[in-house]
Amino acid sequence: MDFVPCGELARRIKEGDVSAEGELIRQFEPGLRVILRRRTGGDHCLLEDLVQETLLIVIQRLRGTGLEEPDKLAAFAAQTARNLAIASQRKAERQRTDLDSDATERNADPSRSVVTVAEDVEAALAVRALLRELPQARDRLMLKRFYLDDEDKEAICKEMQLSEAAFNQALSRARRRFRQILEERGFAKRDLLSLGL
Amino acid sequence: MNQQQIEQYVAGTMTEAEAEAFEDYCVANPEFARQVEFEQRLRAGLAQVARGSTSEFVRAEPPNYWKYAAAASVVLLLGAAVFSWRMPAQPSQILTAGLAGAEHAGASMRLALVRGSGNVPRLPSGEVRVEIVGLFDPESLYSIALDHFGPNRNIDTVDALAGQKPASPVTLEIVVDSAQLEPGTYSLRVRRQSSEEEPLEFRFYKP
Repeated sequence: MDFVPCGELARRIKEGDVSAEGELIRQFEPGLRVILRRRTGGDHCLLEDLVQETLLIVIQRLRGTGLEEPDKLAAFAAQTARNLAIASQRKAERQRTDLDSDATERNADPSRSVVTVAEDVEAALAVRALLRELPQARDRLMLKRFYLDDEDKEAICKEMQLSEAAFNQALSRARRRFRQILEERGFAKRDLLSLGL
Repeated sequence: MNQQQIEQYVAGTMTEAEAEAFEDYCVANPEFARQVEFEQRLRAGLAQVARGSTSEFVRAEPPNYWKYAAAASVVLLLGAAVFSWRMPAQPSQILTAGLAGAEHAGASMRLALVRGSGNVPRLPSGEVRVEIVGLFDPESLYSIALDHFGPNRNIDTVDALAGQKPASPVTLEIVVDSAQLEPGTYSLRVRRQSSEEEPLEFRFYKP
């Protein structure tokens, strides 16, 4: 994928170039997803909403007043995403205080939960496949201790009598395979939803 | 930026300023961001799998399965013989296997674990196609037990169905004959066979 510098993207959007807007979305969306995934606590529906909202705000700003420092467009987009996540958290907290819980439960949107389930399912299925493929109990245990128990790498290596290089290699193999499984299965969220949800 | 920083970011061990600089870099570098997102999803996926049970992480090396399979076959054959001898000729079946994708003339009901929801769905009358939404391994078989919650908080298992294959990674379908159920609250317990995972429970009530 060709990479367009931020300054150029900002200038082209300001001039009304629609293809530059598409380019901005392609370039910025992965990073915005990282930021918002961290701040939406597993609520994938909210994550999608906030990514869209961030992109919309950034594009509108570039179409309108523009940025004083167009080269800092990526940082501006990142900060916009963080601000939206904070605002969303505050709104959710207010709603929790204002509404009675029964009414909230009655009005729960079932489709929202299904979207949330679908994204979780995607990752969990890939993890299951990965765990099935790992022949050594040691590797599975290593993943558990590192990712789930948040144990220190050094301590795991010492206890499992592994060199740090061997540990990193096993971890990197697992990561690569996880990514490959997700890509092979082509589990985009929309695919799962079309499976009958 | 390197793998160590990705690990620190995803584990939440960076300072706020470090995390913000890392995030700015992610937005400017989509391929790097994808790498970070896979790390986030790996961690989330592991947590999701471990939520049921951590047995998948600690299972031992594969043993000589054929020995166990032979022993299990003998036990199953004996069990089946005793079962068929003791059971009445026409047992009533409340739960039957769903035929994924097939036309169903009667009512349908969807059961899902909705976070924070206290709503208990109502079972329609007749033969109801029940779509259970959850996380299923398409290569595994599942057993389903139907429990009735009695007035004295006693729980009776009124029917069970084994060997069910999920219709998709997120759905398992069965048919419940509502006419055979007394009014009250019920729970469908769905469990992956040959695993130590905790069963998923889906409540509903029959009016």
